[in-house]
Amino acid sequence: MSITVRLPTTLQTSGQDSLTITEPVENIAELVRVLRRQLPGFPAQWDDSMLNFSVNDEVVLHRAEERVLASGDVVEIILALSGGTPVPRSAC
Amino acid sequence: MLPYGLVTIEDRVARLLTELPPNPQFPTQGATLFVDLARRQVRQAYTPRRIIETFLAGRGANMFYLYRLLDESLDPIDPSVPLIFGSGVLTGIVPSAARGNATSWSPESGVLMDSNAGDYFPSFLKMNGIDHLVIYGRADAWTVLWLGDGQVEFRDATPYLGLDNIDMRDRIATDLGGTWTRDLAMANITRAGENQVLTSAIMAGPKACYARGGPGAKMGSLKMKAIVVQGQTHDFETAQPYKQYNKEIATKLLNTSVVKNALRTMGTPFLYRPSRVLGAMGTKNNQETTWTDRLDAENITPYRPGMAGCFRCPVNCRPLNQLNDDQADRYGRGDGPEYVTLGKFGPNVGIDQVEPVIRLNNICNDLGLDTASTGSAIAWAMELYQRGIVSKSDTGGLELTWGDAELVERLLFAMSHREGFGNVLADSTRAIERGHYPTEARKYCMAVKGLMQSDPHDARILKAFALGLAVSTRGMDHLRNRVTLEINARINDDPGFKAKLYGGPVSAQPNNYETKERAVRVCENIYGVGDAVGMCRFTTKLFNSPSLPGLEEFSSQIANVTGLEFDADVLDRIGLNIMGVERLINHRLGVRRSDDTLPDRWFDEEITVGAYKTEKIDRQEFDAMLSRFYAISGLSDEGVPAEAWRQELELVLSGPA
Ligand code: SF4
Repeated sequence: MSITVRLPTTLQTSGQDSLTITEPVENIAELVRVLRRQLPGFPAQWDDSMLNFSVNDEVVLHRAEERVLASGDVVEIILALSGGTPVPRSAC
Repeated sequence: MLPYGLVTIEDRVARLLTELPPNPQFPTQGATLFVDLARRQVRQAYTPRRIIETFLAGRGANMFYLYRLLDESLDPIDPSVPLIFGSGVLTGIVPSAARGNATSWSPESGVLMDSNAGDYFPSFLKMNGIDHLVIYGRADAWTVLWLGDGQVEFRDATPYLGLDNIDMRDRIATDLGGTWTRDLAMANITRAGENQVLTSAIMAGPKACYARGGPGAKMGSLKMKAIVVQGQTHDFETAQPYKQYNKEIATKLLNTSVVKNALRTMGTPFLYRPSRVLGAMGTKNNQETTWTDRLDAENITPYRPGMAGCFRCPVNCRPLNQLNDDQADRYGRGDGPEYVTLGKFGPNVGIDQVEPVIRLNNICNDLGLDTASTGSAIAWAMELYQRGIVSKSDTGGLELTWGDAELVERLLFAMSHREGFGNVLADSTRAIERGHYPTEARKYCMAVKGLMQSDPHDARILKAFALGLAVSTRGMDHLRNRVTLEINARINDDPGFKAKLYGGPVSAQPNNYETKERAVRVCENIYGVGDAVGMCRFTTKLFNSPSLPGLEEFSSQIANVTGLEFDADVLDRIGLNIMGVERLINHRLGVRRSDDTLPDRWFDEEITVGAYKTEKIDRQEFDAMLSRFYAISGLSDEGVPAEAWRQELELVLSGPA
């Protein structure tokens, strides 16, 4: 399993503009759980509802967490509008 | 009401003045000055309490003055059609409430003109005791209106004629001995305004401007070169202490992550990337919808020496730029670009490098051109040329080739001077009516109600965006009602949270037509109130974030500042009223349901890239969505307030019998 995650500047804290996830992840919900652990700054921005995902250059604007991922996918984290109040969510 | 066409503007003003109170109606209320440029007369009164209670100030009360003084039998540039400036109830008092509106009958679109600007001018007006300026009559000679120390002077503008923004600001500061941001603010036109270029702005700072609908042309028609406000900044005497709550508002602003991580660091250009990756970036006059990553905000960073901001706004969202160290290069540095300019002078005209976009931005700021309408007018002409509808014989030999930045630069100067093909571009959406283009050109004009689209986002995918652009009272403009949070998956995927934001369920699917009218209605109300209090759109709840200051915060601070009580529901109703009176004005100007529509291209042509490939606007679905929007907005089938509400509004607007 290898998923490339491209990072926005707000998450490039260690100077890298992307990272590779090798843990098995089936969908974006699982990817989020991995990123929470591996990517400093991600939890705060995610909880602030500031981030969107695109998968292989296609933005996912709803049912994002269900979006299935496959090895070789390139996921981009995109700064979305909004942020400031944690969106009251149960998942992730 | 007086019959239109039979009485003069002087009669109308005289009649109105008999109804207006001579004293402030609440602490901090500024006066309304009626300025007759032809007679060099100034009269003063205050906006009545019933108007404040129905529309507040700023954009809201501006509509009252326009409704009462407009004679629709005239032409928009007739000097008897007033140009009205208004600052909000909280302008200059609350952090990020730095804004004011300029209102009239648009010479560009032919419908309502209502344009919003920040920087320092609206706050300085308010601090000098003026909430509204109602200006009419053509001056005998070009005039600078000078305001300060409670005085109004009509000064000779001859020495400033022909000056564009950079020189104008230098000369005024030198001649009057003031310092910008400290004791001097100005709203001025450039050569484009003098020449009544329909995309000309009234500049309110190095970049900030009243841009949309041709305010510069309107001001030029009155022979008024500038309004200068001189005086020290100061605090206000308010009904109750307000500074502690200001601190809370400022904290809220600065803690909002979109402010912290994007607006304060990159400014609005960060929006380019989400639109382009979505496949919704208007490209080559919206023939295409995605463009290069070379224009992503990160690529502007090396040219950004710092950020600037408006009066007492802690956000400082305005990126400055520096292209080189050559002091002789007039356009080597400046203020901007914003996302709109990036889109309009990047993908929309086929330019794929950051440097020329920045340079064109700096030129537009100097020439006093609305980058939205100007970039769109050029893109429209380029597509007409591409299709052979316009040829070299029409353009004076110019080849209107996509991506030719040098050509675009030449066109900007030609527009500003109304020279050659620039004269055609200077007529913007009116180019067909004025005989420059054949009628088949209309099919490719990306405008609604005569106004080119404000921002580069192609709204074929997000149906709430599309509805907003169609129903916006000033024409095709996202700043009136955009449900921006539709582009946020986390909010879309949380139905409970989304329903709470919009007062009821709104479909999670961005490309679904169902229930989107609800979100547009809520946004239009809150943004209308934002304009009436003077709050910046970027920092108003729902535009960039669900957690920025909204009706609750406005309500608390209006009470502290003015002593007037408006709860959130009343404010929401005021937002609706503002839309209502704007629709009444537009109806008098001939606007009907059929004008609440979108460019043909969005109905007829599909998006060809990205996750939403094949998306377009379905005419029947759109029409049904529009009907639902009218129904929840209390509008008739023709898009004006339904009978009972119309009578209510007319009673308030018409004043004592
Ligand atoms: S957020 Fe930006 S544009 Fe708005 S008032 Fe503040 S500095 Fe001005």
